[in-house]
Amino acid sequence: MIQMFHVYKTFGKDLEALVDVDFHIHKGEMVFLAGPNGAGKSTLLRLIFCDELPTSGQILVNGRNIVRMKPRAIPYLRRTLGIVFQDFKLLRDRTIEENLALVASVAGMTTIQAQRKIAQLLKLVGLSHKAQMVPYKLSSGEQQRVTMARALMNDPLILLADEPTGNLDAELAADVIRLLFEINSQGTTVLVATHNLKLAEEAGCRTVFLKQGRIVEEWQRVNRPTGPAQQKRV
Amino acid sequence: MIEKLKHLLAHVLINLVRAGWGGLASIASIAVSFVIIGIFLLLIQHFNALVAEWKEQFQVSVFLDDRITPLQLEMLRRRIENEAAVKAFTLTTKEEALANFRRELKGQESLLEGLGDNPLPASFQLKIRGGYQSPEALKGLSAFLSRLEGVEDIQYGKEWVERISQAARLIRLLGVIIGSVLTLGSAMIVSNIIRLAVYARAQEIEIMRLVGATKAYIRAPFLVEGMLQGSLGAGLALGILFAAYRFVAPTFNLASPLFPTTAGQGFLESSMMVGLVGGGAVIGALGSSIAVSRFLKM
Repeated sequence: MIQMFHVYKTFGKDLEALVDVDFHIHKGEMVFLAGPNGAGKSTLLRLIFCDELPTSGQILVNGRNIVRMKPRAIPYLRRTLGIVFQDFKLLRDRTIEENLALVASVAGMTTIQAQRKIAQLLKLVGLSHKAQMVPYKLSSGEQQRVTMARALMNDPLILLADEPTGNLDAELAADVIRLLFEINSQGTTVLVATHNLKLAEEAGCRTVFLKQGRIVEEWQRVNRPTGPAQQKRV
Repeated sequence: MIEKLKHLLAHVLINLVRAGWGGLASIASIAVSFVIIGIFLLLIQHFNALVAEWKEQFQVSVFLDDRITPLQLEMLRRRIENEAAVKAFTLTTKEEALANFRRELKGQESLLEGLGDNPLPASFQLKIRGGYQSPEALKGLSAFLSRLEGVEDIQYGKEWVERISQAARLIRLLGVIIGSVLTLGSAMIVSNIIRLAVYARAQEIEIMRLVGATKAYIRAPFLVEGMLQGSLGAGLALGILFAAYRFVAPTFNLASPLFPTTAGQGFLESSMMVGLVGGGAVIGALGSSIAVSRFLKM
């Protein structure tokens, strides 16, 4: 689903954000990308959704080489991805429904299709009763769930979550992770970037560790955790 | 296609309503810039009308030799009639010239006693057609007429004509320079106002970009909004100018030979008004497009 081959990303003359990253995610996997702040997690995600281009190396997303992709094809690639941000990026002057409808409008959905999809996703994230509310009237956890609902509007093949629990307390963070698992169970490939190693550990998924732009360690999932996480160090 | 257009217009109207007082403030600020341009255009239009009316009053006087024969007079009359530069002409006989002079000396007719023979010559008064009113054209006409039989002298207020033409040229040049500076300045102000409005929606643009909107999809509503704001601002400026003009114009309605009352009495010409509104739309669209492009790096 996502394949990176010897990817380097340098900002300016000498700021190496990613160094020789080889990274593969299979369809249907849920993978955590862990590491301290500045490790290169967000940069790696931004390369996947083409907000940046690698300095060198190749990146394939769902079989398409995004390094060689024409700029006008990038919006269409992004419609196959769902992105969840730490700072939510919700439009404050629009209702939850309108925030989701924006994606429907971009994708060219009809009004009826959009309404059905929005109702379905708000039900999934447990916010149907708050569709007409504006974001700043919601809690952080609720806002993050709205962000996830928006990320799912296009039925994405891949969901990218950049520090989705960064602004949340432990309980809300766990809720978000549970929701991500639910999304993954429906077939969506999920990649979660987090600096919270405990969260990654408890999730029990395959975890790739980044440090100073390099992959330093990887934990493979042994089995689906139902209790304490069980992971095999690679 | 129609559906997409309807959707775009609906999107634009919703955004304009959503902009609220901020949007109105933008339009009002744009209007201020266009009021300045409008005042300038009005001044230029009035000045051009004044110059045109002064030029209309240019007359060439062809003074006739006292010894001119009727045949020569008729030949001269035909030559003048066929001359392209001449719009109309009248003949003033010696007797009519004296009578006119006597009328001008009202109360002082005694000055004419002892004059003896009528010293005033007959003359043709020529009204000159537009396009032939330049000093060079009048000089050429004068030179041509002076060579005709029966013509004693030609007078056309040469210095006055040259001064008016020079002033007109200078004002036109100043008009172009000042007009260009004003237009450029206004364009920059309007463009910046539109850009500020776009920057205020930077997050919206970013989100649209990240959920897969194409550049055209993102740019289109901003372009149309910019056009609307620009043209509404220009329209508002015209409304303000018109109201002010109606209020102020009668004050300057002076009945004097220097300020002909008919010179530029109307408001701006339709073409200028259309140009102003059109210019507003173009500047608004350009400002929007440039501002949005800043966010569409990829």
